[in-house]
Amino acid sequence: MIRASALYLVIVIALVIGVLCSSLIVVAYFYRSEYQRKFRYDRLENNLNSGINILLASPDSAYARQTTFSLFNRSDDSVSIQKSVWGAYNIFTVKSFIQNDTLFRTFLTANAVDSAKWSAIYIADDDRPISVSGKTSITGNVFIPKAGIQTAYIDGKAYTGDKRIVIGEKRTSEKKLPVLDTDRLKLLDKDFSTKGTTLGNKDSLTWSFLKEIKIIDFKNEEQTLKHLDLKGNILLHSDTTLIIDSTVLLNNVLVFARSIIVKDGFHGSCQLFATDSISIGKDCHFSYPSCLGIIRSNAPKIISQAKISIGENTTFSGLIFTSEKKPGSLKPMISINKKDTIRGQIYSQDALALKDKAVIYGSVFTNRFVYQNSFTLYENYLINTTFNSKNISPYYLASPVTPVASKKKKILKWLEGN
Amino acid sequence: MAGRKLIVQEKVAASTLLEVVISMVIIVLVFGTAMMIYSNVTRLSLSVKKTQAQAILLEMMRNMESSKEITSQSVVAGDFTIEQSVKSYNDNNDLLSVDLTAYDDNHQEVAELQKVIIRNDD
Repeated sequence: MIRASALYLVIVIALVIGVLCSSLIVVAYFYRSEYQRKFRYDRLENNLNSGINILLASPDSAYARQTTFSLFNRSDDSVSIQKSVWGAYNIFTVKSFIQNDTLFRTFLTANAVDSAKWSAIYIADDDRPISVSGKTSITGNVFIPKAGIQTAYIDGKAYTGDKRIVIGEKRTSEKKLPVLDTDRLKLLDKDFSTKGTTLGNKDSLTWSFLKEIKIIDFKNEEQTLKHLDLKGNILLHSDTTLIIDSTVLLNNVLVFARSIIVKDGFHGSCQLFATDSISIGKDCHFSYPSCLGIIRSNAPKIISQAKISIGENTTFSGLIFTSEKKPGSLKPMISINKKDTIRGQIYSQDALALKDKAVIYGSVFTNRFVYQNSFTLYENYLINTTFNSKNISPYYLASPVTPVASKKKKILKWLEGN
Repeated sequence: MAGRKLIVQEKVAASTLLEVVISMVIIVLVFGTAMMIYSNVTRLSLSVKKTQAQAILLEMMRNMESSKEITSQSVVAGDFTIEQSVKSYNDNNDLLSVDLTAYDDNHQEVAELQKVIIRNDD
């Protein structure tokens, strides 16, 4: 006999429907929570970009300390922003948060180039002309003395470049070079007297820009760095000479020392500041944004020339500058060697020595050019060198320390983020 | 086959009236609850309209960041009316606070987007 069992059948059907309904509720719950998470993420991203815009448009002195505030006076639009000086550039940190969700970005910034001041060559007017010889090429606007630019026969070489000599506009320069940003130089100068901890036995260190800066202090001991990998928010300090071997990897690291020697074949992206001298070896590669700077705010105890010298066949991208507050009898000098390629800016407070086949893509500010062969030293002669202010990335940004930096700040490089 | 008699050899026991009534009540309750859950899930899930409105607001914000002239105005985009409010942010002339709100045909708010942007002078 078959039982009708209507109740039994209904319970089975109800159970099936119940299972279907609960799975529908679970699916809807996860879908909704994921959607809300995406919505929250979009809002955080939007707030983060607002924070970035606020930092980029605010004056240099603002937000030197971490500041947390509500963007539009609502409960879900809090941001925390901070600016800090990072050598010749700036580091900005932005965090946006809603409840426990946080988005953050750390990035390097610099200033857009002021096109009116951007020139292949700016040489101070000391009432004498510039002479060119050999295969010299100058492309871009130049600021030169009233006496002008002329061809010359030097070292048995006649001028073989473009007939126009300068492929660009010729403007008259001032008697003095446009100055570097003194406030920024003072800030950089403070880092020469900073104190920190020792590196210990570590062979690698990565330090986040969200943390307090890690200062590694070598004090008065001359140190040679070898087989070391340093990345991030790290400052190396030495009261004497610091030697950096080619086996050292530096990424976004600052170095402050009395003098710095970089061995042949070094590769990295770093900012090196010294009070006396910086010597870069052969075949080195410094990627953008790097910086080599001599900052001398006080006269040295022993008279010495502030000098940056770069070995042969080296490629450098970024800024090279010398700044001496009270130059003595030996004036600061930057020396660019044979087959060197510089992409960016050179600001030489006094002399810029150039060797054969030196190539500068970007801008040069100097008081005078120096060319030396085995027998003679020539001043304001350009021989077999290439200057091109146009052959540089349209995204190139100038350090705020330089006179060509406009007020507009832009993002140079993303460092950290989630 | 047509015309053939159906011969029932086994007895089929019928459900009692009480059993049938309870079954009907249960089945009605279960179906009712299921329908309620289904309608709630569909109603509360992400609407296509809201997603569309958000995409339009994001696109508009992107265009505003690259344009020179930005003013407060009301524009019609697709099925939505977008209210665009622009004012300077914290008295900083270089910064603008932009508030975009999308309304549907019934003038119901569908999506909102607020952002601080840099005034474009280039």
